[in-house]
Amino acid sequence: MGLVPYRARRLESVISICLLAVLFLIGVGVFIKQFDYNTNQYGIQQLGVSLISIGAGLVPTGFEMLSKVEVYNSENLYEKINGKAPLYIESGFKELSTQRFVNINDRSLWMELYTYDMGTVKNAFSVYSIQRRAGSEAFPPMQLGTPQSGNPFAYRTDNALYFVHGRYYIEIVGSSESGELFSAIAEVARKIQANLAAGLDASIAELAMFPQENLVPGSIKLYLVNAFGFEGLTNTFTAKYKSGNETVTAFLSKRADSKDAEVIAESYRSFLIENGAVIKNTTSKTIVGKVMDFYGTTEIVFTAGPFVAGIHEAENQQAAEKLAKILINKLNSLNNE
Amino acid sequence: MNEQNDKKLSRRQLLVSAGKTGISIAAAGAASYLLYDAKGPKAGVEYKEHVILKNFSVQHRPDQTMSIAKGSDRAETLNKAIKLLGGIERFVRPGETVAIKPNVAFASPPMLGATANPELVAEVVRLCYSRGKAKKVIVTDNPINDPASCFALSGIGKAASAAGAKVVLPKAKFFKHTTLAGGTLIKDWPILFEPFAKVDKVIGIAPVKNHHRAGASMTMKNWYGLLGGRRNIFHQDINTIIAELAMMVRPTLVILDGTEVMMTNGPTGGSISDLRRANTLIASTDCVAADSYGCSLLDMKVSDLPYLAKAEKAGVGTTDYESLKPILATVS
Amino acid sequence: MKIVQARRISQVFFFLLFIWFCIVSTVGEKLWQLRGWPVNWFLQLDPLAAIGTILTTHALYRGLLWALVTIILTIVFGRFFCSWVCPFGSLHHFVGFWGNRKKSAAQKIRLNKYRKAQCIKYFILVFFLFMAAFPSIAASLQVGLLDPIPLITRSFNLIFLPIVDRSVNFVSVSDRFYVGGWLIFAIFLIAVLLNLTIPRFYCRFICPLGALFGIINRFAIWRIGKRQNECVNCKLCEKSCEGGCEPAGKMRISECVLCFNCLDDCGENIISYQTQPSLAGEITNPDISRRGFVLSLASGIFAIPAVRLSGKLGSNWYHKVIRPPGALAEKEFLKRCIKCGQCMRVCPTNVIQPGGIDGGLENLWTPVLNNRIGSSGCQLNCVACGQVCPTSAIRPITLSEKLGTGEFAEAGPIKLGTAFFDRGRCLPWAMDKPCIVCEENCPVSPKAIYTQECFNTIRDGILTVKKVSDNTMETVENNLSLDKLATGDYYCAVEGDERRKIVANTENSIEISPDKLFGKIPTAGSKIEVQVRLQRPYVDIEKCIGCGVCEHECPVSGKKAIRVSAEGETRSADRKLLLKR
Repeated sequence: MGLVPYRARRLESVISICLLAVLFLIGVGVFIKQFDYNTNQYGIQQLGVSLISIGAGLVPTGFEMLSKVEVYNSENLYEKINGKAPLYIESGFKELSTQRFVNINDRSLWMELYTYDMGTVKNAFSVYSIQRRAGSEAFPPMQLGTPQSGNPFAYRTDNALYFVHGRYYIEIVGSSESGELFSAIAEVARKIQANLAAGLDASIAELAMFPQENLVPGSIKLYLVNAFGFEGLTNTFTAKYKSGNETVTAFLSKRADSKDAEVIAESYRSFLIENGAVIKNTTSKTIVGKVMDFYGTTEIVFTAGPFVAGIHEAENQQAAEKLAKILINKLNSLNNE
Repeated sequence: MNEQNDKKLSRRQLLVSAGKTGISIAAAGAASYLLYDAKGPKAGVEYKEHVILKNFSVQHRPDQTMSIAKGSDRAETLNKAIKLLGGIERFVRPGETVAIKPNVAFASPPMLGATANPELVAEVVRLCYSRGKAKKVIVTDNPINDPASCFALSGIGKAASAAGAKVVLPKAKFFKHTTLAGGTLIKDWPILFEPFAKVDKVIGIAPVKNHHRAGASMTMKNWYGLLGGRRNIFHQDINTIIAELAMMVRPTLVILDGTEVMMTNGPTGGSISDLRRANTLIASTDCVAADSYGCSLLDMKVSDLPYLAKAEKAGVGTTDYESLKPILATVS
Repeated sequence: MKIVQARRISQVFFFLLFIWFCIVSTVGEKLWQLRGWPVNWFLQLDPLAAIGTILTTHALYRGLLWALVTIILTIVFGRFFCSWVCPFGSLHHFVGFWGNRKKSAAQKIRLNKYRKAQCIKYFILVFFLFMAAFPSIAASLQVGLLDPIPLITRSFNLIFLPIVDRSVNFVSVSDRFYVGGWLIFAIFLIAVLLNLTIPRFYCRFICPLGALFGIINRFAIWRIGKRQNECVNCKLCEKSCEGGCEPAGKMRISECVLCFNCLDDCGENIISYQTQPSLAGEITNPDISRRGFVLSLASGIFAIPAVRLSGKLGSNWYHKVIRPPGALAEKEFLKRCIKCGQCMRVCPTNVIQPGGIDGGLENLWTPVLNNRIGSSGCQLNCVACGQVCPTSAIRPITLSEKLGTGEFAEAGPIKLGTAFFDRGRCLPWAMDKPCIVCEENCPVSPKAIYTQECFNTIRDGILTVKKVSDNTMETVENNLSLDKLATGDYYCAVEGDERRKIVANTENSIEISPDKLFGKIPTAGSKIEVQVRLQRPYVDIEKCIGCGVCEHECPVSGKKAIRVSAEGETRSADRKLLLKR
């Protein structure tokens, strides 16, 4: 480069570095700026407002709005659903919007739509699964034009439809068992799926972790807190399995790591023993020391990698142990993947 | 020594150029500050100029509000009718400017009766000049068909010019936006304003015609010719717009020409057989009263024309023309 | 560190930042979606947009204040933007470098000499500015056509990104379309390829933004120049000169883009960035002739009134120009739209498209809705387009204002236009086929599409009764298609009796629903009519907001049987369809 005076070169370097520092600050500034946003601006909104705005679009054919949209938060949820409120509030409840639609020609046919914003798909699934009425009929995946968008978390009773839509748990309850009314209910459900942005991205991984054989369809529940009355069992999934004429309940919960799983399993076993459980003998080597008798029912609690799992309140010890083995194998194979 | 001068020179240069830089920056900054708009534009278009038509009426005389002259010659019946109301001198003062607004809506020959009669218009112009001693009389309208063709084919252009009036065609820049106080339809609407902005008196001249949409077209409907823009939208509520037009325009005098009445196929007519001779000419300071009498010439009742009642309710005039004690005269 | 290294890093930084902003312009909350990313920053830094809108609207709108930073820095330092920030400039720089890298030094020096034609960009600038300068007569903002920032934003967002994304569907779940993209691509490609002939072709000859900088940098405190007279005239400083500004001779300040290549290439340390003018002389003014200036000024002033003689802004307006919700009335809109394409990019349904010239020359690349494209017309609860428009040609409306709720309840919802049925193409109207997809999808409540029931005798639908037993009727004729009448839409009309629903049929018999048997058994030999129950749709123009979902869903997919037209749009007082809302 020739004979450049030392000073000028240093000045050039200093200036260059300063300019790069400015670039860096710009980058930081831009990055900080992107945290500052309000989704309401673009039309993606908090449910209450969005239901008010799309509420108009949900009205089924032949119906009209019977009342204005009502919005409830965790403070006044009790006013609407009374004793059911604690379940939602414990499960991450954010907001409830309700609305009623009535048939224009026959005012005795009306429905009420409850849209619970539970914050995440898991929370919504939890309240959905816990609320599931026995003897209900799984509602065929709701068609939205493409089979992929079929919703697996939906069931119906004679007069109502219950389903999960992303982070929302939706109940649509009709005033009677009329087929015409239920068609309208289904139409509202389809419209919700089409029009309500719900963040459907998250899926619930644990559902696939249960062994499939003999699993009673639609029996998986998620207890976010206090599963089986024990504080430490959070985020616990349960599933029912057919065994001859009986059903056996299995459970699992993914913890942070295997150490944490051990701790939880151990404390749950202690909790049971404190409350009167007694360790039983078992022929199975893998679950020695993990099988307990709790007032006549069998309780098995073990770990498999980061999972705490087991069998809950089984009538038949043999069936319980058999299922426990299958469960252990499944979880171990998942851990080894 | 030279080097020092050089340095001083360049230092001065530097100061000068730094000064220029500083001024540019200051100018840019000042402009930004003054012009900064955080709110952004509003939804509608705002019209900067908003005008109001002034009130052109003269002093009310309860016994000289309406006159009816019967006869077959328009010039004669016109002169009689105006004389009965106190003569043109009551309405036009010496040195004043008068705007005459006849019905020039269609490029239709005068004998079909779809437009004001040209001889009648010319006679009014002549009266204003000779007896009223007006300084200037203009004749204007915003026709439905092409303005130049309408003034030419209806004969009104030639007749008015021959009588000494200036024909004012509706140029785009003559239209300004107005809002009628108490109106629901005339809101931010362009009207033909300029010709009326500087005149002292306004006289309306309208033939009596049947109208398919409105029922009838007489002196009140005549003011439709002041509306600009896409005024046909008002046909969706024709009675309200006619009533509001009567609220908006308060003329000095209106002439309702019932010499030959268009009984059918209004407002364009198209055949002599649509006309019926009634040999009646009405002069009035009250449009509502004039029209209320005029509808009888069409074999209609006041209740057949809802806009009459609407206008009366708005306080523009009265449908009970009898109460005004109209002066009746026959010209042989 | 050498200053040219800093410059290269800066170019890469801003180019990548620009690309990033293009990628994230999807409405959403993930890190690679819109969130709070300032995706309009480049457009806001661009003083042409600011100055253009100041001329047409006499106001400096919000975010465009960033342009003041660019202007002040340019006034003080010179045309740093061209070499250090402008992503289009960096692209030209790179292509010019790469395309000419194998040439000899002498050839490169020749390529970089100053050319008289470099004055053209000033004429282009003057032309555009005077087109915008007199809003009281007729003003239109057309700078967006050649302004590099909107140009590269359009080209990337509307051409390259959708093409690249098709293979991965990362940015958008569905494939995006942009009508007329070929023209945007062609212009972009030509501009880039021209660098193979002369480096930074666009920057030197065409760019109006560069021209603007060239005018305002005349009082710069620092500039490139020779700091000593002992120059050996090797001209190596011009080997990689990006601006074509001849630092070897009289330095043309207005053309210098501060690439500092000359400073780096000079072996004798003569060229520096200094406060005093170059010792070899300096030319601050752009080299434009008075004649050329006057010509471009006059053309600019007359251009818009001339274009507007087409009447496209008056009674000859084009009904297919349907603009996004929140767009200003047309004259005001054209004063602000810089054709950046952000609204088209961000629209979640892909319904906003770049306009063509069928709506008038000024319509080119402005946002126009095409309801056939995309997922669903204008989505009811979305106001994204107005939020990203940098100049408020589309106002940043709230959802309340769009839907006419809350404080806007009296004003009512914003209408984009009105839907009109083409009854000659509509299935229930013209083809005796039941269909009410439009009515089902109409998102407003009460619906703006309603139906009226009617029964039409189908083709060859008059049949003669042969025998009736229970709920089956045999016909003399033998030409029905098996179970064609079984869809639940067909009825059997008998004289003197109510019509009965048909549940099945063979070639020569009809089975009616057992729920409602014949009241009066038809005698053999009597005639019955097979009728189809149609729900014929109507538009309630008081309720229709012109969102276009009906047009999108209509199964007559070529020329739709229901089409939205711009009559009745809220933004234009003179295109009202109804007297009252």
